[in-house]
Amino acid sequence: MKLAPLIGIEVAAFVLIIIETYVFFNIVVPLGPIPHNLVEYTGYGLLKALLVVGLVAVWFLVMVELTRLYTRSQLSLSPRPAS
Amino acid sequence: MGLAEAGLLTLSFIVPFLVVILGAPPYLAWLTRAGRVVDDAHKRPPTKVPSPTGPILFVAALAGEVVAYFAFGSLVPVAIAGAATVAFVVGITDDLFVLGGKTKPLLLLLAAAPIVLLVRFESSLYNPVLTFPLLGDTAPHLIIYTLLAIVAFPIVANAFNMMDSFNGQISWFTVLVSLALVFGISLHAAYTSGFSLSRLAVALPLVAVALGFLLFNRYPSRAFDGDSGSLMFGAMFAGLTITGGVEVAAMIAIVPAILNSFYTLSSVRGFVERRKMGARPTYLGDDGKLYATKDESAPTTLIRLILLGGAQDEKGLVRSVVILVAVSCLLSAVISVLTWAF
Repeated sequence: MKLAPLIGIEVAAFVLIIIETYVFFNIVVPLGPIPHNLVEYTGYGLLKALLVVGLVAVWFLVMVELTRLYTRSQLSLSPRPAS
Repeated sequence: MGLAEAGLLTLSFIVPFLVVILGAPPYLAWLTRAGRVVDDAHKRPPTKVPSPTGPILFVAALAGEVVAYFAFGSLVPVAIAGAATVAFVVGITDDLFVLGGKTKPLLLLLAAAPIVLLVRFESSLYNPVLTFPLLGDTAPHLIIYTLLAIVAFPIVANAFNMMDSFNGQISWFTVLVSLALVFGISLHAAYTSGFSLSRLAVALPLVAVALGFLLFNRYPSRAFDGDSGSLMFGAMFAGLTITGGVEVAAMIAIVPAILNSFYTLSSVRGFVERRKMGARPTYLGDDGKLYATKDESAPTTLIRLILLGGAQDEKGLVRSVVILVAVSCLLSAVISVLTWAF
């Protein structure tokens, strides 16, 4: 089926969201001791925000790489038609 | 759910559906008489199709939200109607005068205003938490959630707009993802005490309008919605996601559209009006089939990715899109079940 690789990318996007959700709840949220002063509190807040941005970036990077892989494999398979 | 509530829910579906079914034929005839027709560029030779149908879709959606307002008396339909109005005005302006690639997303930020302003009068309008499958709720963060909600409107509305290229594509897409949304909101309502059925009533007009429009927009199209229709669909979807508290399931449902707009934006490096793109991602062959452009510098779109697997006619291509969207909607349904039923 021609759509199978694209469905695979969709499912990968879905699975990655589930895994990253687990990472978010079990690693990012409970990260570090409960801070008692403003500097520590802000520091942990920023660290958590950076980690969330990192998780989103990982998701997009994986999607882009999977798509690039698919595009290149299809372009190398197909003959160059006269346009 | 009592019989009266079921009746009111049915009414909030039937009214907008009938407005599209009964209102579109005379409106399309008027558009044709007024010369407001555009080329259906994927036909050989190109046919003329009336556009934009957005105004009649907007009237229908508004009628559905008015029914939901009088049936359930909440401000949620007012907020959704407000978001739809802003997106419709931006869209119809673009249909008539063509807005710049950066102007449209900036103006669409205003679509969040009704929800953000009305939450001051009805604090339960949205709950500033994200609910994840199996893991539960995040802590409430009103400011962060509200900022994300504001940004969501242009992103989602543009994602819908970019799914509007072929006969029946936007209507099939909206029908499927709004059904996934309604499924998520239904489960949310069924398993959460105090979650009003009004959230479901405001979502039904979107399904009804998209379903009615599908009858005119399916291959071969007798009507195009224009940006006024697709941006309104997107803004309503974003608003319903926020008021329905089904953010994760909704995001999964529109993954094909999110990936499509992300690929396009990253490959053309920024917001570029589609009429001004350099290399086209696809082209129409002499045999009437659509082909993916082999030029590696061409923008990567979902359609180009599908066509890289082999040339297709327009009907087959839209069928492929529908299959991909249906898969994402099934995954969204799984998320909804895992979120609310466990």
